Amino acid sequence: MTKAGATWLEDFKVAMIIARRELRGRKRGLGVFLLCLILGVGAITGVGTLSRSVIAGLDLEGSSLLGGDVSLRLHSRPFTEDERDWVTRDSLSLSDVVTLRAMVRPEDDRDRRRLVELKAVDGAYPLYGRIETSPADPLHRLLEKRDGVWGAVADANLFDRLGLKPGGRIRLGDAVFELRAEMVREPDRVANALSLGPRLMISTDALEITNLVRPGSRVLYSLRATYGPEFQFTPWKGGLRDRFPSAGWDVRNAGEAVPSVRRFIERLGLFLIFIGLTVLLVGGVGVANAVECYLEERARTIATLKCLGAPGRMIFQSYMLQVMVMAVLGTLLGLLSGTLGSVLGLTAIGGLLPVPPVIGFFWKPVWIAAAFGLLVAFTFALWPVAKAQAISPAQLFRDSIAPSGAAPGRRALGMGFAVVILLCGLVFVAAEDNRFAAWFIAGSVVSLAALRYAALGFMALAARARPTRAWIRLALANLHRPGSATMPVTLSLGLGLAVLVAVSVISGNLSRQITERLPEQAPAFFFIDIQPAQVEAFDRAVTGIEGTSGYRREPSLRGRITAINGVPVGEATINQDSEWAVHGDRALTFSAGPPVGSDITEGRWWPRDYAGPPLISLDAGLAGGFGITIGDTLTLNVLSRDITARVANLREIDWRSLRFDFAIIFAPGALDGAPFTHIAVINAPRGMEDAVERAATSGFPNISAIRVRETLETAARMLDGINWAVRGMAGLSILSGLIVLSGAIASGQRRRIYDSVVFKVLGASRRRIAGMFAAEFLLIGLATGVIAAAIGLMVSWAVVALLMRMAWVPLLSEAVFTVVLTLLVTVLLGWFSTWKVLAGRPMPYLRND
Amino acid sequence: MKNNTVSDRLISLKQIQLQLHSDSGPVEILRGIDLDVERGETICVVGPSGSGKTSLLMVIAGLEPATGGSLSCAGHDLGALGEDQLARYRCDHVGIVFQEFHLVPTMTALENVAIPLEFSSRGDAFARAEQELLSVGLDHRLAHYPGQLSGGEQQRVALARAFVTRPDILLADEPTGSLDQATGHKVLDLLFELKERNGTTLIMVTHSSELAERCGRQVRLVDGLIVGDDAGDLLND
Repeated sequence: MTKAGATWLEDFKVAMIIARRELRGRKRGLGVFLLCLILGVGAITGVGTLSRSVIAGLDLEGSSLLGGDVSLRLHSRPFTEDERDWVTRDSLSLSDVVTLRAMVRPEDDRDRRRLVELKAVDGAYPLYGRIETSPADPLHRLLEKRDGVWGAVADANLFDRLGLKPGGRIRLGDAVFELRAEMVREPDRVANALSLGPRLMISTDALEITNLVRPGSRVLYSLRATYGPEFQFTPWKGGLRDRFPSAGWDVRNAGEAVPSVRRFIERLGLFLIFIGLTVLLVGGVGVANAVECYLEERARTIATLKCLGAPGRMIFQSYMLQVMVMAVLGTLLGLLSGTLGSVLGLTAIGGLLPVPPVIGFFWKPVWIAAAFGLLVAFTFALWPVAKAQAISPAQLFRDSIAPSGAAPGRRALGMGFAVVILLCGLVFVAAEDNRFAAWFIAGSVVSLAALRYAALGFMALAARARPTRAWIRLALANLHRPGSATMPVTLSLGLGLAVLVAVSVISGNLSRQITERLPEQAPAFFFIDIQPAQVEAFDRAVTGIEGTSGYRREPSLRGRITAINGVPVGEATINQDSEWAVHGDRALTFSAGPPVGSDITEGRWWPRDYAGPPLISLDAGLAGGFGITIGDTLTLNVLSRDITARVANLREIDWRSLRFDFAIIFAPGALDGAPFTHIAVINAPRGMEDAVERAATSGFPNISAIRVRETLETAARMLDGINWAVRGMAGLSILSGLIVLSGAIASGQRRRIYDSVVFKVLGASRRRIAGMFAAEFLLIGLATGVIAAAIGLMVSWAVVALLMRMAWVPLLSEAVFTVVLTLLVTVLLGWFSTWKVLAGRPMPYLRND
Repeated sequence: MKNNTVSDRLISLKQIQLQLHSDSGPVEILRGIDLDVERGETICVVGPSGSGKTSLLMVIAGLEPATGGSLSCAGHDLGALGEDQLARYRCDHVGIVFQEFHLVPTMTALENVAIPLEFSSRGDAFARAEQELLSVGLDHRLAHYPGQLSGGEQQRVALARAFVTRPDILLADEPTGSLDQATGHKVLDLLFELKERNGTTLIMVTHSSELAERCGRQVRLVDGLIVGDDAGDLLND
């Protein structure tokens, strides 16, 4: 067919001709190939496009979300005139916003109280975007003082909770406000499921008369400014830092408006893309199976071509070309369905997202999904195509039913290694986080290897077993025979199932932590902003309520870590797990003695009468994350004053328990003179919570009571929503596994028909044959389920116990439910498809002519 | 044979018709077959391709229901039997040998032979299967899979499988069609030996005139009708 020494290109040209002719024919089994790719590529495209759309929405709304071109935020103290003047220079407009938490109640009802997220705005607010209210009215008119009463605007649910309508009056601190409108849209607010209360907006002029802002109160002052088009943020920020090196503020531009939301969306998107990638890997097994089935059908053609002189290389090129043509088609359909799916999804859930998403076409998720689709198809098709290339024509003729054991050559192995490396590289590119990518790759490899060896072990067991009942023996024979469905089904369905079990158990553990464990350990209330002058009266008021216990109160003020061992935090090497501590201000306290029940792991507590240079007691976890220990220093900016303190001791703190504790405790002396308030916690039975809240806030209008149970319930609700999204994606991997299963059943259909015909001839009833097939699927489903559940449970343990460092509970009911459901589906699917076999007439298969 | 009583009649076909449906409409495969077979007879069915030879075997085996006429085999009215009863009938009374052997590739020779006994829930299935393989000279191949056996060996396994239940009727469809001449002769010798030893009634489809001559009675089929039956003619007389 080809002359000796033909070049690669010459062979390729002929291979293309053969491929084109071959593709004209019937492509049995390639439906599964296409479906697997469409599902996997579609899932990655859909999730990627969805998260990109939300991030694009965040970017588009950046200035609105920030409230200006730049935003400066300061805790606990207002901006000085100097600072204000510097920011005002060259600015086009300026706006002041003050936010804090406060308690509010209807003016004439002392029993209905709500914690609110209070926001006081000036007349310039908002600098960007538009505020929408119902009834619609200009904001300054809604907030102005009329007939001696200031106005306020609030979220609809505050009206509901207080039983008020527009025009109703509320008491906030020492002042009375008229609720004039419901807030419909607030341009600089990201929907946040973890906010502690509804929004209440008032004028900055009115804030003063509430008397809520007192020395040491937890207040966030924001100064927003807009500048002309020539404005350059980086040099501006540098100038600001040079002029006010110790201001201790948080400075952002529009690109960094809501970094935590952005980070959350990126992480969730990444997690879902990993599950999408698992869907594709599951589908890869289907791809391999479909290609093997396709090549088995073409065995005689390949043998004929080889007899006619086609070299192995040409056979490889031609059949790989056919596979890749189908892969391109499947990938394109996957991209299309994923993009359409994401548009439909965004249209459906757009209202639930933190910002309106930008619905559009995004290149990155599309090219990544396409590259994954094509690489996975190539990787999984490589082995069967190389096997077809490696075997001799004689073998092909002889082994039309049972594949030979011919192994692909070294070149194919090398190629396989190269594409796997490429796939891993692509995972790193897609993840943008090397640690997560490495975890995912390691997890996938270990899981696939575990599934493969478990399947091999299961097949070996099936081969050894010699049960007395014939139908069980026949079912077992079908599990280990050459070309049996055991390996592809265990790998694909097993991987999908393992992901689903892992996700179910992880989310179940998280939910359990929030809804069961934390409420058991956490206090019922946090009270904030207790003034030093109020502490005695406050202590009496809340501890006097029957049933309360565990009351603790500590002084508190806020400060920002600015340097670690003299190195500014921006330049210091900080472990990812400890980065949270240098983002924004932290609560600090000071104490002569160690907190009750504290676990000092290194160093010693200072003497009660210590009066030397600043010392701190530090959370041991943070110290590890910062790479410091006893004797090293931390510099903290407290109320615009830099204090460098030496670490005297380290304490072990379990933050997940919501224990009342502080990461940084100063020795007495260093914070003297700084205004502070107190924070207190108390336990109370559920039925006494209202009474505690009343006692804590009636006589102390500036004190806010945070109900921990409600906050946890809100968090649990948010987690539930995320859980469903994650489980939905994991469900796709099961769907992909079922497609592979149906493909495996279809490819074994001819063999099953043959078996059933022979058994019929030998006197087996239809019921007996059906029972045999059912037993085969029951065994395969059971083995896959048990293996996958074990792997899923192990993965969940690793994530929960090692990564999240939480108590892991196996939650076997979740695992058993998932396994039983899959088992049922497997048996039903297998049995339904083989029922058709039993209904067939034997004669066409038995005649000789 | 002429003096046989009605009680020795093992198979009785009266006006058997078989109509199948194809894409181009119904096809008459058997168009009124009358055939009586005595216990112990050896019959060969000959005729051109497409004359209905294999279909006739299928009808007698209960694998293909006749669309007309009545059919009694080994005391059973096959038309009145349901799916499970037909399976039981095959298990108890019929053995079949094919040109393509039709062994189960995932089972060893021993398992292939034991399987019909296992369908009958015989406790000594493996012992008897081993005995049967010994009788066809394959006791050294018990644990081999069909793919590991030669064509002649596979057909001998198929013979052992067909005879292991001691059937009343053995149906053979071109049993040597896939074998070379020498092997074919050996297999046929074995087939006739087993038949004689077990007193089985043999109905065999063949194209081979030499083989046909070894049978006591020749039935000739053309276009779904019996056009020649040497012993049948005698019986009718």
